[in-house]
Amino acid sequence: MAIKNLERVITPSGKHYVGDGFLVHNIIPGSQGLSMQRISPFIMMDYNAPHYFSPSNTPKGVGVHPHRGFETVTIAYKGKVEHHDSSGGGGVIGEGDVQWMTAASGVLHKEFHEKEWSKKGGDFQMVQLWVNLPAKDKMSPPKYQSITQAQMGKYHLSNHGGVIEVIAGQYNGITGAASTFTPVHLLNVRMKTGGKAEFSFPNKYNTALLVLEGSITVNDKDTVPANNFALFKNDGETFFIEAIKNAIVLVLSGEPINEPIAHHGPFVMNTKEEIMQAFEDFNMGKFGYLE
Amino acid sequence: MLENFRAYFTSKAEITDEQYVKITADLKTKVYKPQQYLLRKDEMCNHTFFVEKGLLRSYSVDETGKEHVIQFAPENWFISDRSSACFNEPSEYFIDAIEETRVVFVDQQFIQRLSAQSESFRNYNDFILHNHIRFLYKRINMLISHSAEIRYLSFIKLYPDLMLRVPQWMIASYLGITPESLSRVRKDLAKRHANMK
Repeated sequence: MAIKNLERVITPSGKHYVGDGFLVHNIIPGSQGLSMQRISPFIMMDYNAPHYFSPSNTPKGVGVHPHRGFETVTIAYKGKVEHHDSSGGGGVIGEGDVQWMTAASGVLHKEFHEKEWSKKGGDFQMVQLWVNLPAKDKMSPPKYQSITQAQMGKYHLSNHGGVIEVIAGQYNGITGAASTFTPVHLLNVRMKTGGKAEFSFPNKYNTALLVLEGSITVNDKDTVPANNFALFKNDGETFFIEAIKNAIVLVLSGEPINEPIAHHGPFVMNTKEEIMQAFEDFNMGKFGYLE
Repeated sequence: MLENFRAYFTSKAEITDEQYVKITADLKTKVYKPQQYLLRKDEMCNHTFFVEKGLLRSYSVDETGKEHVIQFAPENWFISDRSSACFNEPSEYFIDAIEETRVVFVDQQFIQRLSAQSESFRNYNDFILHNHIRFLYKRINMLISHSAEIRYLSFIKLYPDLMLRVPQWMIASYLGITPESLSRVRKDLAKRHANMK
């Protein structure tokens, strides 16, 4: 099978606060021209690189806001997040866990540092990814998938090179815990120095990786250090990575959704009219109510 | 660079690209950070501000220190204080940025130059003045005679995306109601509409 080569390595620019609880690099969209279309179905990625939050009796975070038309995937590496939504649901995303929220037709939610964690403070590291939905599913009912680290399918690399946690999709016959609307592979790779892993995805799938810790080489030639995002060309199927030092890498690959994208704030639809409708529905209380 | 400004004026004034470039050659623009002032009470407001990108508001501050929002100005809106800009009186109002905002400074000379070139702009300029007065009448009537819910419904029609860009207390201030009352209105609407999803 042909090698999938790197297109480019993107070092994200400055950080900004989302609410007062997430200090993030925005990687998708906008990082050096990386458009939603180019990396579809992944349409947004914020990365909160390790950051120390001092103890706070009032949990920091993001207040009530709506979403419609896509899914939010929150991957907690360090720290804990508590969330509540307008349907009365809620929960805690613990270290190593993932929350896969299908906003679809619309939810109101809020996300804050978990109360007890907030009181102690500590290092916080998290990825939030938005996965687009095809037009036919954008108005389907909202739902949650809480995926603990223990529930994730795990593939152990040879020579004790590390472990691949399959959040969604598949890796070497191991199936991920999350169900998705379109084909998506989301893999959390925890590698020891010298550990090697090979990946294979159809060439038309948009594929990228984010190095959260350590440093890796891709296809024995390109080095990607921590806090860098690497985008692959759609030229082949297979690539392999090797950890130069203990590394955590998030690998994402998915079939592009080739439909028009209309995006404004927390709504991602197909047309401008649908965006206007989303604002109207939100303003008129059709997303429900949350204090 | 000023896509909104250019689209706004060329669509209203029917001028050629060449005329646009000439007329706008010495226009000033500036980017304001959130909470940065464009105008403070007792200062002279010598310009009308066109919002290319971002969000501004004008407000007064009463004797107890409480802010009262007069107007929001998102993209493609104008904001100014006419008592100062047209009648040379020190302003009673503040204008500041809610978001990082790129502003185009529009002055009388610019309006006159454009009016001299374009009859359709002269007509449009009259129209926006009358429309502004019509809007202010509606706003006065709203504040003295309508319920909190009707005020809110009129607000979201005028400013469809501001509920997601502006803190609720500022919107309550604009509507002349308490933040608690705004929450109640939104809760009541959700109770009636949430099942319609």
